Amino acid sequence: MMKSSPALLRNAVFLAAALLVAFAPLPLPQTPPAERTFRIDATQFAFAPAVLTVNPGDRVTIELTSLDVVHGLYLDGYDLQISADPGQTATMTFVADRAGSFRFRCAATCGDLHPFMIGKLHVGPNTLLWRSIGLALLAMFAAVMLGMPRLRKA
Amino acid sequence: MKKEWLARLLVLALVVGFSAAALYARWADRTLEVHAAMPEKGGWLPNTLTARADEPLTLRLISDDVVHGFAIGQSDQQPSVDILPGKPVEITLLFDKPGTYTYYCTRWCGPNHWRMRGTIEVEGDDSSLANDPSGPVAPPLYLMLGIDLDAPHDVQVDVTRQPSARRGAALDTNLPAEMLSREYVRAHSPYEVWQTLRETPAASPLSDADLWDLVARLWERSTTPDALQTGAQLYAQNCATCHGTTGAGDGVFAAALAGETSATPISPGLGHETVAPTDFSDPAHMLGASPALLHGKIIRGGMGTGMPSWGLIFTDEQTWALTDYLWTFTFQFQFKETTP
Ligand code: HEC
Ligand SMILES: [Cu+2]
Ligand SMILES: [Cu+2]
Repeated sequence: MMKSSPALLRNAVFLAAALLVAFAPLPLPQTPPAERTFRIDATQFAFAPAVLTVNPGDRVTIELTSLDVVHGLYLDGYDLQISADPGQTATMTFVADRAGSFRFRCAATCGDLHPFMIGKLHVGPNTLLWRSIGLALLAMFAAVMLGMPRLRKA
Repeated sequence: MKKEWLARLLVLALVVGFSAAALYARWADRTLEVHAAMPEKGGWLPNTLTARADEPLTLRLISDDVVHGFAIGQSDQQPSVDILPGKPVEITLLFDKPGTYTYYCTRWCGPNHWRMRGTIEVEGDDSSLANDPSGPVAPPLYLMLGIDLDAPHDVQVDVTRQPSARRGAALDTNLPAEMLSREYVRAHSPYEVWQTLRETPAASPLSDADLWDLVARLWERSTTPDALQTGAQLYAQNCATCHGTTGAGDGVFAAALAGETSATPISPGLGHETVAPTDFSDPAHMLGASPALLHGKIIRGGMGTGMPSWGLIFTDEQTWALTDYLWTFTFQFQFKETTP
């Protein structure tokens, strides 16, 4: 029992560090929710702009205008869909209450490359990337530290 | 031996019977396949159908590329159906009168979408035509008035502010009784009416701009909120792509029509000149046109200018609703469009 306790402690420290990196709330400046309107032009086979960035809590309006054939927009995660004929702008409005990155894609078959007609909505800064880099570094460090005593014993 | 023969006969009977049944089923199923493709790639296939009056015609509509729609012109027997790629739809039509019907695409499938039309020849005994209660169709107003649709109608006018029907209504001037009829308004251009008013003694204290407000009020009086609402809806679905949502001639396909570069150029093979869509908010252009002229142009089209002809698509009532609605871009009406 006594012997294993330093190892246990070390493991606990690593675990705590990992949890911290993964889930600790960042001291980000909290932006007050705002109204945001995006005008997206849809053509075969792209959205312009294809990447939207908003802050969590923002009230987002997307105006979809088609410049050639009927296109649609389906927003993953929020499960919202609109479709627009050229000349008839379609709008969707929602509150970005779910943080993360969500894909949106064309919701009306518009030709051969229709499946590749995609875009992205970022709600909040993309901390996922930094957190995963942090976790990877931590894992490497942990592997080195935990491997050490065994090396010595050998 | 006898048993073997019997078995052979049975197998033969089964094989023949099944194939005959399959063939019969195919023959009896009178469903017609109609393929829809962008006009550059062929449009409707086939684009002529035949049917008999009072006999149902079942169509299986298949899209070969993008989203299309199907409807029959000048009729509401078949509400528009969407034809989504990979999802064929079946519809059944029933014509009670012989004649030639037009079917057309109802979803914008490219700059040439409106060229996607086909005809259905409905045969039947002419007796059903003879006792047709609707009687012979009257020719459109522009023909009865002898208006040349292609004559330039621009006028030099000095309108310093957009004519407003509300201000016109507030003026409370006694207008000549003949002007108050819808027929009068439809047969005259706003400029002609303005000139007549200018010479009317009752209107002499009014300024030129006030008179334009009176004209706007006359135009508003000649229509109804219901007609304008119908017009607004038809306009959004059929006209805004070229003429723009605000009527300024700046729709998403306007650049392609004006011959400027565009992602999907209007196919030169389909034969048309490069003309920009009319700006309905330009007073110099609109004030010289009578409603009858605009109505006629909608029916006949621009004949090669890129302005489609709608005569076979809309009923006369719908065409007038569209004509009335076009004036909302020139005059301020007290009409608020309600979005469904
Ligand atoms: C594919 C493009 C296109 C569409 C769709 C279209 N137009 Fe046009 N339209 C034009 C062009 C181009 C012109 C100008 C050339 C001409 O007058 O022929 C024009 C001209 C007109 C004119 C004539 C104005 C004048 O003073 O001579 C009227 C009226 C008109 N359009 C009404 C409509 C209505 C109503 C619709 C919808 C039902 C419609 N247009 C749909 C392209 C279009
Ligand atoms: Cu698309
Ligand atoms: Cu089509």
